[in-house]
Amino acid sequence: MWFLLRRVLVSLVVLLGISLVVFLMLNLISDSPGRAALGQQASQAAVDAFNREHGYDRPVLIQYVDYLLQLLRGDLGRSYKLNEEVGTLLLQNAPRSAMLSLAGLVLALVIAIPLGILQAVRRGRFIDRAATSISYLLYATPSFLIALVLIGIFSQTIPLFPAEASQSSSPWVVFTDPRSMALPLITLAITNVVVFAQYQRSAALEQLGMDYIRVARAKGASERIVLTRHLLRNAITPIITLVGVLIPTLLAGNLIVEAVFNYPGLGLLFLNSLHREDYPVLLAYTLIGGALTVIGNLVADLVVARADRRIELGR
Amino acid sequence: MLTIRDLSVEITHGDRIVRPVTGVDLELHRGETLGIVGETGSGKSMTGLAVMGMLPGGGRVVSGSIDFDGTELVGLGDAAYRRIRGNDISMVFQDSMTSLNPTRSVGDQVAEPLQLHRGMSLRAARRSAAEMLALVGIPRPQERMGDFPHQLSGGMRQRVMIAMALICEPRVLIADEPTTALDVTIQAEILELLGELKQQLGMAMILVTHDMGVVVRHADRVGVMYGGRLVETGRTADLFRSTRHQYTHALLASIPTLAQDKDVELFSIPGSPPDPADPQIGCRFAPRCAAATERCRTETPRPVAGPGEGHLFACWNPVDERQATREVRRFDASGIASSETDAQPVRLSVVDLRKEHPVSAKGVFGRRRSVKAVAGVSFEVRAGEAFGLVGESGCGKSSLGRMLVALDAPTSGEVLLDGDRVSGLSPRRLGSRRAKLQMMFQDSHASLDPKMRIDAILCEPMIIQGIGTAEERAERARALLAGVGLGASILERYPHELSGGQRQRIGLARALALDPDVLVADEPVSALDVSIRSQVLNLMRGIQRERGLSSVVISHDLAVVRYLVDRVGVMYLGALVEVGATDEVYTRPAHPYTAGLLAAVPVADPDLADTPVDRVHGELPSPLDPPSGCRFRTRCPLATDLCARVEPVLEDVGDDHAVACHFPLQPKLRETTTAEALTAGEAR
Amino acid sequence: MSTARAEVAAEELPSLATRNPISRSAVLRSLWRSRTGRTGAVLLVVLVLFCYLGPLIHPTNQTDVDLLNAALPPGDGFPLGTDSNGFDVLGRLMQGGQVSLQIGLLAAVFATTLGTIYGAVAGLVGGVVDGIMMRVVDVLLSIPFLFFVLIIAARFTATPLTLSLVIGGFSWLVAARLIRGEVLSLRVREFVSAARLMGASNRRLIFSHLIPNTFGVIIVNLTFQVADSIIVLAALGYLGFGLSYPVTDWGSQLSSGVSFLAADYWWLIYPVGGFIVLTVLALNLLGDALRDAIEHRSP
Repeated sequence: MWFLLRRVLVSLVVLLGISLVVFLMLNLISDSPGRAALGQQASQAAVDAFNREHGYDRPVLIQYVDYLLQLLRGDLGRSYKLNEEVGTLLLQNAPRSAMLSLAGLVLALVIAIPLGILQAVRRGRFIDRAATSISYLLYATPSFLIALVLIGIFSQTIPLFPAEASQSSSPWVVFTDPRSMALPLITLAITNVVVFAQYQRSAALEQLGMDYIRVARAKGASERIVLTRHLLRNAITPIITLVGVLIPTLLAGNLIVEAVFNYPGLGLLFLNSLHREDYPVLLAYTLIGGALTVIGNLVADLVVARADRRIELGR
Repeated sequence: MLTIRDLSVEITHGDRIVRPVTGVDLELHRGETLGIVGETGSGKSMTGLAVMGMLPGGGRVVSGSIDFDGTELVGLGDAAYRRIRGNDISMVFQDSMTSLNPTRSVGDQVAEPLQLHRGMSLRAARRSAAEMLALVGIPRPQERMGDFPHQLSGGMRQRVMIAMALICEPRVLIADEPTTALDVTIQAEILELLGELKQQLGMAMILVTHDMGVVVRHADRVGVMYGGRLVETGRTADLFRSTRHQYTHALLASIPTLAQDKDVELFSIPGSPPDPADPQIGCRFAPRCAAATERCRTETPRPVAGPGEGHLFACWNPVDERQATREVRRFDASGIASSETDAQPVRLSVVDLRKEHPVSAKGVFGRRRSVKAVAGVSFEVRAGEAFGLVGESGCGKSSLGRMLVALDAPTSGEVLLDGDRVSGLSPRRLGSRRAKLQMMFQDSHASLDPKMRIDAILCEPMIIQGIGTAEERAERARALLAGVGLGASILERYPHELSGGQRQRIGLARALALDPDVLVADEPVSALDVSIRSQVLNLMRGIQRERGLSSVVISHDLAVVRYLVDRVGVMYLGALVEVGATDEVYTRPAHPYTAGLLAAVPVADPDLADTPVDRVHGELPSPLDPPSGCRFRTRCPLATDLCARVEPVLEDVGDDHAVACHFPLQPKLRETTTAEALTAGEAR
Repeated sequence: MSTARAEVAAEELPSLATRNPISRSAVLRSLWRSRTGRTGAVLLVVLVLFCYLGPLIHPTNQTDVDLLNAALPPGDGFPLGTDSNGFDVLGRLMQGGQVSLQIGLLAAVFATTLGTIYGAVAGLVGGVVDGIMMRVVDVLLSIPFLFFVLIIAARFTATPLTLSLVIGGFSWLVAARLIRGEVLSLRVREFVSAARLMGASNRRLIFSHLIPNTFGVIIVNLTFQVADSIIVLAALGYLGFGLSYPVTDWGSQLSSGVSFLAADYWWLIYPVGGFIVLTVLALNLLGDALRDAIEHRSP
């Protein structure tokens, strides 16, 4: 109980830290909001007036505190470029991104976990060596390159899937229009499987070398029972914790995939905001990303702690 | 029941071929216990694994046969072997922590063999498992069924392993070092349990171990293995009384016993056990054998019958009656003899030392629990005296050791060197006294920087303390090496190139580099093979006498401590329960725990094997929550109400013999009344 | 000296000739023996030679725009065709390769150096200082890497130096965590206790004991960092935040090449992509083999 509280407290501190860092960073490197809102053509006087009016000429730290208070009210700021509340923008795009991420993740896990275990059990044999070589190759390929190659083969040479993802506003498009989402999903899956499978392989190998596996065999259990009843549960735990920690990478992966396939999600929003220098959006986006990471780490920590706790009690 | 003939095992690692077992002949009869004894690389474990058909990857039986009640096991198909494993032949392994699945309950794991071999349902199997847990002596078995391995203590886990192995009532049980990782008192209980169960279930048992004392008490017949070969086998009594093979003889002679004469050097076997990867020509023991001849080096000895039924040995120059009374070498008379130390000044003084470790701070907001590792220990060590600290795991001796050399600061209390405080000081305040307190570590592998050469390791203390020029330091390094019996060629080597015994000597040499007044040796030989231990022990004893060093030897091995020290303190759960002259404490123990410890130590003497043992029962309480009053009361047969209320203090029972007990086994010099005991207890 | 010791002094040191001392050459030797190590090392050497010696063998004009010869497929005079500005693609690959490798290396060195020092200090000092230092790392790590990099890159003009700093400036976090972990586990090793017993100062502990024992981890980390940096660089280039003309790196080349995806000018896309993949692959193989070699060496 206390443990939970302490971790949450630390997470909050970290979140605060993130907000401070990002806020300061953006503040330092970006144009003043006045300039951003009125454009490059506007006169300096107009920009200054704008800034004064909206309080953008006060000391940075005071603006930061203001921002925090604003956040607590649930207000994520306003995008002047798009003339929309940031919160609304994010909410519009979030479900689509989340769906894509989730689908890609599930697909990857469904392939990677059995593959990793299979590789561990058949270590050194053909399937292991082949899978490892391929994953080495794929791991060295940037995700956008994978996407481009896929487009090249399955969209141009063999016109099977469209090169652009569905532009529909519905997040369920992954299921309703699988053809248009196929390539983005495959790209995401490939980039994830490569990492997950190798990870699962070494986790499974580590468990296979453990004494209790030997003991299970000494009881007369067949290989199948050894794998399912003994190995499985112990080999999968590491990768579950890994998934929790990998959420930020998934989001970034999304960014590239969304860019390549022009999928209207958070990632594309971020990129466009970057080009447009729409800083309120960038700020809110990074903050959300950070928050998700922190939450992901917290959950992973809790899972690990629960297992550790049992060890602590046992001592 | 089980007949092994000419068994040879090979393991292929890439292009390297290793032969851990060569030409072994063994027999196991119904209802008997066969002990297989050997050191590292002897092939004893591999033999057991071969019987189970569980050789490691790349391993296979290349020749020989294993006949199990008419069935040939070598070359048996997988499915048939699986039916036998866990069912007709079972195995118990050494490390119970890693041998149990951490994510399945204990009950399920014990029940599993029944599901596999008897086709029972999970529920029915679980019922039988609970009964089995009771049979192996686990209290409240029904509650333990749902526990996970890490929630149980080492002794409990080993019982679970035994339950798992025996639940299908196999005809043969192979126990591979079943008690090596356990405390001496628990070890005795587990071994007795195995003996009882063996009789109850009418099994035959193979007991694989490196400890000669264990086989004496628990095995009917013994096979001694060395370098992958069986060198001698026969009935236990015959083997010990009429030893024929030189190795067996040397091994028995080199083990310090509880009755060891301190002024005599231990019989020492030079060199180390052979590497299984080396090709074998002739007798594998020849390089280390004092009686080796040319024939031994070129021709592999063939088994010959000796006195006694079924007694076989393979040696060209066996032990004869003359040699049986080995020559005795006494230590030089120079240096301070143990009898003179009383007149010497007190060098090291420990006053009410306490050490508490807070339990891992994984967010403990509420109760701040701490492990009370050392709870108020006081004693003195005089100049030139060797003091021993014995105890089992969790007694706090290692924590105490670190505080003695000012490596850790005590929570309260003091350590005084020549009257000056050395505990809890900053390195600067400690100053030149730092050099006077040195330590020899248990694990030489971890205590020598793997990236440093030996000459750098030996010179480092002198460099740090700014002693001498580079030449003088090099000279001193060479002298130190010679002092521990090593040649100067070692200077250019790295630690991983040396054997365990050599590394341990380097550790000792380094500790002596600064010419300390006090040397603390923490488990100096526990990590070494049995045949090498005596080398290091002789060395330590010799050096201690020569230099008049005050030394503190910390060990769980009572025989080692007996051999090395003049006075000894017995620790239990952080408290010193008995202290006094070694001879006194060992022959007339006053504390029930000491008596139980001494009784539990396996002694390699068949004549003592049958004496009834007054053992210590039960499990070690958690150091987080030691029992109130006398810490030992939960396991003491003499415990009363008083013991629960008042913690006893050290009181004299002899000239140099004190004990902390309300009902000591030796009468107190001054009888304290209950009232006095109460006030003394409250003062703590 | 007692007789026992005289006996023992004559003891042989068996099979010492067969054991190799720990040294750099030993590590390199076991590296060579592993197939991954060999492949990685050879591949890397070939690529580096290609980038730096290639222009000497196949000199091309990389500065003057030649629109007459723009976007030609592979043919006479142009082994891999030309790009939209008329530059020889093969020559461009060499040029871009030099820049990519330089940036990758610089970023990795920067990241590893900063990360090692930071992590070592945090690990050794411990206590509150360590807690604060690691919280800072946690905060920075929680922000998705790419976001950070992109924000910075979007603002500043991209030169090889700034890109190296930006990429390295955020990669050091992982190295810091790694080194801190190593230092923490080394700190409680007995040889550190032994050194303290001799009176060793913290400075001596760090330089004589801790750093030599973490050296292997540092080198492995460096190798992987170079690989990661090159990938990030490529992504930056692809997304349009890479180097601007005429300086070029593989990422930017890929970016401009992609705009011709529909026109099927494959020679502007796949060769560049291939080189990126091969370089990163070589580095990863090398890193893995190094890691294995070092782990087997240390006890």
